[in-house]
Amino acid sequence: MSDPRDPDEDRMQAAEYALGLLTASESRAFESRLGVEPLLRAEYALWAEDLAALAAAVPAEPVPPAAFRAIEARLFPDERVSLWRRLGLVQAVLAAAVAAVLLLVVTNLGWLSVPPGPTLGAEIAAADQTLILQARFDPATATLTLQRAAGGVAAGRAHQLWLIAGDAVPLSLGLLADAGTTTLTLTPQQAVLLDGAVLAISDEPPGGSPTGQPTGAVLATGVIAAQL
Amino acid sequence: MTTVSDIEALIARVALGDRRAFGVLYDATSAKLFGVALRVLDNRAEAEDALQEVFVKVWHKAGQYRVNGLSPMTWLITVTRNHAVDRLRARRAGTAQIDEAAELADLTPGPEAQVIARSEAARLTACLATLDPDRAEAVRRAYMEGESYVELASRFGLPLNTVRTWLRRSLQKLKDCLTS
Repeated sequence: MSDPRDPDEDRMQAAEYALGLLTASESRAFESRLGVEPLLRAEYALWAEDLAALAAAVPAEPVPPAAFRAIEARLFPDERVSLWRRLGLVQAVLAAAVAAVLLLVVTNLGWLSVPPGPTLGAEIAAADQTLILQARFDPATATLTLQRAAGGVAAGRAHQLWLIAGDAVPLSLGLLADAGTTTLTLTPQQAVLLDGAVLAISDEPPGGSPTGQPTGAVLATGVIAAQL
Repeated sequence: MTTVSDIEALIARVALGDRRAFGVLYDATSAKLFGVALRVLDNRAEAEDALQEVFVKVWHKAGQYRVNGLSPMTWLITVTRNHAVDRLRARRAGTAQIDEAAELADLTPGPEAQVIARSEAARLTACLATLDPDRAEAVRRAYMEGESYVELASRFGLPLNTVRTWLRRSLQKLKDCLTS
């Protein structure tokens, strides 16, 4: 066709490309130039901006709510959120059962008269036991102490601790030390949620999740229950 | 209301695999993009499929967004429009796929490629109005309905080369108006 370096011709081809009017072979030729010619790319970008205004003028249309679930199901077939929910549900039921048994035992033995009450704690463990932390809550100081019993942190990553009470969104309790013991002070609002809730550790970038919600894999979980 | 830089920041976070940002981006843009897909495809079930595929693409290609020089909404609209037009053409069969345009992966960013975001809709409408109605209609049909030169030629009862010359002149006139 015309001289490919003619700026007017380039501008027209960029428009035809943006409109999808080029033939398949013209389109391929244009794309291979687009990869190496910044001016041509800028020409295309200008047309794309101009023409997108045609579509931008189309009114928004409410999307059926099922659409986003379908997208998530396609992108994340091993749905982490529902896994969390399932974990949360199963573990909450277990925790409730344990709590009920404990209450019976405690009531029958007359331990209710003992002032401090049972200490809350949890073993937070990966399914394959490669990561295990022991958590204990001291109500007197409102501190949660986590002792790393197995497993470390991957280089350049961080472990973040989350509190998940029932169906609520995970609350960040803070980052865990790479080794040894971490002591976290809880607010009264966090402390009241502990009994029966799930503690979970997620893999996060240094400094923790940038979003306020877990962004990496959930590495280990444990249900908080009374410790004898 | 979500601003241009909000959407840009969301795309950047989606590129890092941030699912929550993906949800926020979806909430902020899906109704607009669904409107575009529906206008092109004129079929709700197909537009919904198209929207799903667009967001699957957005998740996978968000990292390439920065290098293509488009403003964030233009990128999303272009991906949606191209995908919807490809579906429409597959229905009609026989034309080249144009989907790649907004997604070119191997482009290195250059300062020339940085396009300043503009509020375009009103200007474009005004400039289209300076064209003969037939020609404005041809531009609109090519963009929103993916009509090819062959289809436009038969629609307007003109030889293909005449339509091409005619549309190119109109596009040049449109560009002159938009840059004046």
